[in-house]
Amino acid sequence: MSRAARRLAVAAAIGALACGDISAPVRSDLYEWRLEAPAVPGPGLDTLSFHWAQEDLPVRVWVEDAFGLPDHMARAIDVWQGSFLYGEFAAHLVSDSATADVIVRSGTPEDKLRRQRLHSALRPECAGVTDLDIDVASRELRLPIRVFVDPRSLPDDPGIEPCLALTSIHELGHALGIFAHSDRPEDIMFVDPEVDLPSNRDITTAEAAYHTPANLQAVRP
Amino acid sequence: MLKPILIPALFLAAGAGPLHAQVDYYARAGAMWASTLVRDVLVTEVTVQQSIAPMIALGAGMPISPGYRAGVEATVASGGYSAEQDGADADLGTLRTASLLLGLDGPVVQQLRWRVGLGGIFYLPSEDQGIFLEGGPIRFVAGAGADWRHPVGSEWDLMVSARYDVHRFTTEELEQRGFSQAQSVNRVSLSVGLARGIR
Repeated sequence: MSRAARRLAVAAAIGALACGDISAPVRSDLYEWRLEAPAVPGPGLDTLSFHWAQEDLPVRVWVEDAFGLPDHMARAIDVWQGSFLYGEFAAHLVSDSATADVIVRSGTPEDKLRRQRLHSALRPECAGVTDLDIDVASRELRLPIRVFVDPRSLPDDPGIEPCLALTSIHELGHALGIFAHSDRPEDIMFVDPEVDLPSNRDITTAEAAYHTPANLQAVRP
Repeated sequence: MLKPILIPALFLAAGAGPLHAQVDYYARAGAMWASTLVRDVLVTEVTVQQSIAPMIALGAGMPISPGYRAGVEATVASGGYSAEQDGADADLGTLRTASLLLGLDGPVVQQLRWRVGLGGIFYLPSEDQGIFLEGGPIRFVAGAGADWRHPVGSEWDLMVSARYDVHRFTTEELEQRGFSQAQSVNRVSLSVGLARGIR
């Protein structure tokens, strides 16, 4: 190989290294994550969307120490944090419920707290509910978001732990901004999911929620 | 993780005894800029980039023919990295890179020398999260640069160096998410240090 040919080959190799971009996947397989609520003033429906702003992170989550819920919710936080590529969501457990953005309790909610209620994970062993206090007129989401995880069976029921684990992930999915349910059982955000972890479709939906402007603003008391 | 850098450096040091008079050592400190690591589209464009990072470099070389040397250079840079979308930045933590290049250098004019090298670059994020959820990658890297030296004593030289290197970046996590190909990452550094050895 002549000297000129070698130089040309080296230049071509460096050029090949220096050029070209990574190619991102097309993310089109997702479901509606926004909440439809009666418009104020009516008539019709408002589509409400929410995600935690960067300045709100990490979201503070208080969990009642019952039925292993702190461990389940800590894992749910890890699972959702790991679903994002660019630090869109982060949360941690706190010991003082007065400072929490999300409060997780066992059992069922009292009706007087109800504003927007998302019933979920209606398995025989356990169930979950997320209550959102939304003022549609002012477009405010009043914190804290209240999550209830209800163990419906005895602690030695072999199905209770998996049910609590997936229900924790599902309800935290609501608390991070997926305010609607998927229409497919293979998504963790289906009302009664057949899976234990977020699917690619759940992740794509969560990404869409965090990269689309929100029209609800979190307001602390 | 630093084994690939430390082991050749130790071998070099061990073999340096008899060749002491011929071996050229140097250490430098400076700053490094790197281009975009990831370019994505989530409604609008998202880019991930490292901040300008402080860096240190250690190297050694031996003559292979009159005026020319072969050597090894290890560089470590540590700084923040962030994701940017629509003018808003999200801090993603600390990202260290360590590179090891085997190279050649030769004279340009008087105190100025050129350098080229090939080697590997190791990404060492502070936390395995986001694009580094499955860990930091090791990538092939090619580099070039120039060194200017000025004697400041009987054995020591002031050394001012400019470096450029390029590699193709992706991570296991990005590949699992369906990203294809890789991003060309260009890095430029300027540094100052001391060299001791042959003239």
